[in-house]
Amino acid sequence: MRGRNAAIAVSGLFAAAVLGGLAARSNRPAPIRQPPREQAARQLDLGAATLAGSVLFDSAVEHYRGSFEHRGMYVPLAVASATIAASLSGARQPNRMRTGVHVLAMLTGVAGLGFHIYDISKRPGGWSWQNLFYAAPVGAPGALSLAGLTGLAGQQLRTGQVRPDSQSGRALAALAAIGILGDVAEVWLLHFRGAFHNPAMVLPVTIPPVASLCLAGVAAGAGRPSLRTTRGWLWATAATGLAGVGFHAWGVHRMMGGWRNWSQNLLEGPPLPAPPSYTGLALAGLAATRLMEEAHE
Amino acid sequence: MQTPRATGGRAPDVFTPGGWVPMREYDESEEVDFVIVGTGAGGGTLACKLAEAGFSVVAMDAGPFWRPLEDFASDEAEQSKLFWTDDRLVDGENPLQLGSNNSGKSVGGSTVHFAMVSLRFRPEWFKSRSKLGYGFDWPLDWREMWSYYREVEEALAISGPVNYPWGPPRPRYPYRAHKLNAAALALAEGCEAMGIPWTETPIATLSAPRGRARPCVYRGFCVLGCSTNAKQSALVTWIPRAIAAGAEIRDLAMVGRVEVDGRDRATGVHYHRGGEWRFQRARNVVVAGYAIETPRLLLNSANSRFPEGLANRSGLVGKYLTVQSNQAVWGISGKEIRSYKSPPSLALTEHWNYQDEGKDFHGGYCYMSQGPEPQLWANTQLASRGLWGEALIAEMQNYNHQVGLKMVGEMLPQERNAVTLADETDQYGLPIPRVTYSWCDNDRAMIGHALDFMGQALRATDARDIWKQTDDTCHLNGGARMGDDPQTSVVDADCRSWDIPNLWICDGSVFPTVGGVNPSLTIQAMACRTGDRIAAMARRGEL
Amino acid sequence: MSDRYPGYDVMTKRNGPSWNDVTRRVIDNRLATPKGPRFFSAAEFETVRSIADRIVPQRRHDPIPVTDFVEARLLSGQGDGFRQAGVPQAGEAWRKALAALDAEAQAAHGMPFRQLSGPERDGILHRMQNGDLHHSSWGGIPPATLFTQLVARDIVFAYYSHPTAWSEIGWGGPASPRGYVRTGYDRRDPWEAAEVKDGDDAAAIRKNRRVR
Ligand SMILES: Cc1cc2nc3c(=O)[nH]c(=O)nc-3n(C[C@H](O)[C@H](O)[C@H](O)COP(=O)(O)OP(=O)(O)OC[C@H]3O[C@@H](n4cnc5c(N)ncnc54)[C@H](O)[C@@H]3O)c2cc1C
Ligand code: SF4
Repeated sequence: MRGRNAAIAVSGLFAAAVLGGLAARSNRPAPIRQPPREQAARQLDLGAATLAGSVLFDSAVEHYRGSFEHRGMYVPLAVASATIAASLSGARQPNRMRTGVHVLAMLTGVAGLGFHIYDISKRPGGWSWQNLFYAAPVGAPGALSLAGLTGLAGQQLRTGQVRPDSQSGRALAALAAIGILGDVAEVWLLHFRGAFHNPAMVLPVTIPPVASLCLAGVAAGAGRPSLRTTRGWLWATAATGLAGVGFHAWGVHRMMGGWRNWSQNLLEGPPLPAPPSYTGLALAGLAATRLMEEAHE
Repeated sequence: MQTPRATGGRAPDVFTPGGWVPMREYDESEEVDFVIVGTGAGGGTLACKLAEAGFSVVAMDAGPFWRPLEDFASDEAEQSKLFWTDDRLVDGENPLQLGSNNSGKSVGGSTVHFAMVSLRFRPEWFKSRSKLGYGFDWPLDWREMWSYYREVEEALAISGPVNYPWGPPRPRYPYRAHKLNAAALALAEGCEAMGIPWTETPIATLSAPRGRARPCVYRGFCVLGCSTNAKQSALVTWIPRAIAAGAEIRDLAMVGRVEVDGRDRATGVHYHRGGEWRFQRARNVVVAGYAIETPRLLLNSANSRFPEGLANRSGLVGKYLTVQSNQAVWGISGKEIRSYKSPPSLALTEHWNYQDEGKDFHGGYCYMSQGPEPQLWANTQLASRGLWGEALIAEMQNYNHQVGLKMVGEMLPQERNAVTLADETDQYGLPIPRVTYSWCDNDRAMIGHALDFMGQALRATDARDIWKQTDDTCHLNGGARMGDDPQTSVVDADCRSWDIPNLWICDGSVFPTVGGVNPSLTIQAMACRTGDRIAAMARRGEL
Repeated sequence: MSDRYPGYDVMTKRNGPSWNDVTRRVIDNRLATPKGPRFFSAAEFETVRSIADRIVPQRRHDPIPVTDFVEARLLSGQGDGFRQAGVPQAGEAWRKALAALDAEAQAAHGMPFRQLSGPERDGILHRMQNGDLHHSSWGGIPPATLFTQLVARDIVFAYYSHPTAWSEIGWGGPASPRGYVRTGYDRRDPWEAAEVKDGDDAAAIRKNRRVR
């Protein structure tokens, strides 16, 4: 069955990217005690990989639904896989190829945005709720750009191209804040489409916005809220992302035929791979707070 | 199904294969507050409202009590078991096609196989005589109906557009609209080319889970029964609520006669169940058998005090039966449409319901996208287009490219369109109905306008080989109309018959006019209102 | 006529998620409909077959048993829910129609309807459809009504109740619990019939073989 083959192929791609990235990393012995900057870099790597993983599976599902009508629809799969590998490999030296991958991810996200906007505008109804709900999602490609940016930040931090000071911390906080907000908009749209039929659907549009606000405060250098509070909300956001997979798996089960009818329900039910994008962005936010902390010390 | 299921203190649980829910049962010798004949859009809704208001209710239906998950096959022929296929005669200049096309015989009534389009009346239609100069006024105020529409939309979790383009503002639909299928996209394209608004159809099927009901899977068998429970029929909404509130549903119970005593009060109903005639006593009787069976039952219940039939001192029982025009234009698209996927009518336009200029006829119509299944489609080619032989087989090869627009138009009420009794009898020994129907000039003018307009709209898409289906009608209404005057109506605004104060009629037959939208939402809103009115009257001791 | 959906057989989905138990039961029963005359006499049965041959011509070696299906419907006693005043119930109306067709055939060609050539049968059926037959054996029932609302209708319904006919027109067939996902213009789910595009039969066959 084609659906099953495709699923196996994408999972294989993901596994290869993860293993390849980790293999490249384990070549070098890790330092005994990690400096905060190293910790922040690791969080960024992991955040980028999580975001890219979410994009990989989500675009695989969505573009499979779209029957891969044109070749361009494979691009985000390839680029997301490369981003996973590049992020997890944790380069210590400036590395053109890895930089290239991250920049490519950023550009692919932007191009995807363009394609999706074009797709909406040519449909009957144009910029209508119908098309916002059901045409190619406007926000989704943005996640790939964010993955690229996050990965790039991690790499530059580790290689020393960027200094772990409060300035870089604030910039990163701003990036994560905006990213989370974009994600919130997308989640709100889709949960509104689902009429918030389950009270739990409110969680991902209430917790992450608070985290985003906290990060905005951090980015503004307001000194409030405290880094601790911010971190608390970020961990909650990260957890929301992971719990979301569970909720969505339950959602698939609640569709007609449940998991036995996976060939329909994985596509029509709530998207399994989408929620972890929150986790990825929260990790980026956590890295930002790390940097701020180091700067304070 | 031949044996009743709702017996022994339990009723089928529609949400679980083989499942049961506890159900209160009433003794036949016990005088229940209400016995309701028919459990469809009118009767099912009212049973729920009355039971929730604390009345003792027994609701009977001639049809079986299905569990859709295990009983409904994906098959046209098999699912004709949902239709009212008892013998009926048709005549007149334009004899109606009944059967699958018109009414159901199940607990849940015709809503079990309806197409779920859930539209509100245009406000002026409640006063079409005084405001628009045709038809008859309803004794109801649109603002009051507007709030009951809301109650029904919430009870059915209607999926609809975020903003509705026509009429006074209405609250947001509880659930979001479904994704449009290709047939609906073609409607949208046509409207945009003609420069008129269109919208996603407000529709009674779930776009997200709700309780134990699962969302629509877009299998497209809606008018053959929904095997997923996504469709919010009376069977899966009002009926379970009614049972939970203490109502008893008696399935496979055909009511043959309403008994009336010498003081002009109804005392109960004679019904056929389990192979024998039985009698249920009741303080009030509600007839809700839809526009053919309701008049038939009233006429069949004639006695010495009511020789012309119950509640018929006005002579109007059975008169002013009014259907809706259901003509269509069809064509072949270069694209694959595969309109068998999704509920058939996901997009529509009410432009000609709200636009009065440029019309050479009274009344309005909406039109919507369509998705016929193969048997129905083949028969359309035969009956409406005359195709058979190689021509039919060849045309059927275009099935996946077929695309069409179909109207629901307001026909004008005429006294000569009527339900009467025939000489022949049915399997219960009851005289069968004879349904007489003829179109009037206004009907023909509207159909002509609609076919022209829809034809242009379809031509604006890539459809070719466009042809007109000129013969179809749908939706029965009237036959026991409501009004302000006992001389010219059968029931009052509360659906209470003028002649027999404890006999009520609560279904599509009370419509004085039909408007240009599908009727079920209005029937249910009216039933909700009737339920509230009865409860209020009971509180005041006016029952 | 060339096949528009080569290699597509809706029955390959029988054991997949598109069919549920009740559907399998119903279709199995239909495919096991007993053969031969049960409701009609042998001669009537042949006449029905000779009509069905013209209404839904088939050139397959395993033709859809249209006549048996028509009989099954009449035996079940299930009506359509309406008939024009003056038209008897379905079974009786069918017999009347068959007798009248024979009478018309005798009058025009000197033999029973079932022995006429294809074009001759077509001629009579066309006139029946147009209400242009006037033999007394119609007994005042309009032939056009009998044609459209009974004879041809039952035959068409019978034909399109068979999976082979569904495959022929590329219909998705039974669909529960699994319905459809891709519903826009030119969209096909992998469990639907693939149409021949640009004359590429092989591509369509490949896709249709994978339908489950
Ligand atoms: C194919 C089809 C599609 C439709 N699509 C739509 C749509 O999209 N939107 C819309 O608004 N409307 C639609 N309708 C119309 C809608 O279903 C009806 O208008 C509505 O259900 C009528 O409600 P009712 O209560 O008057 O009668 P029904 O819902 O028909 O209920 C009457 C019930 O009474 C029972 N009954 C009758 N006589 C007796 C008796 N003597 N004893 C016991 N029981 C009896 C019957 O068995 C039946 O169950 C559609 C109808 C059909 C047939
Ligand atoms: S399309 Fe939706 S509403 Fe219609 S039968 Fe299928 S699941 Fe039910």
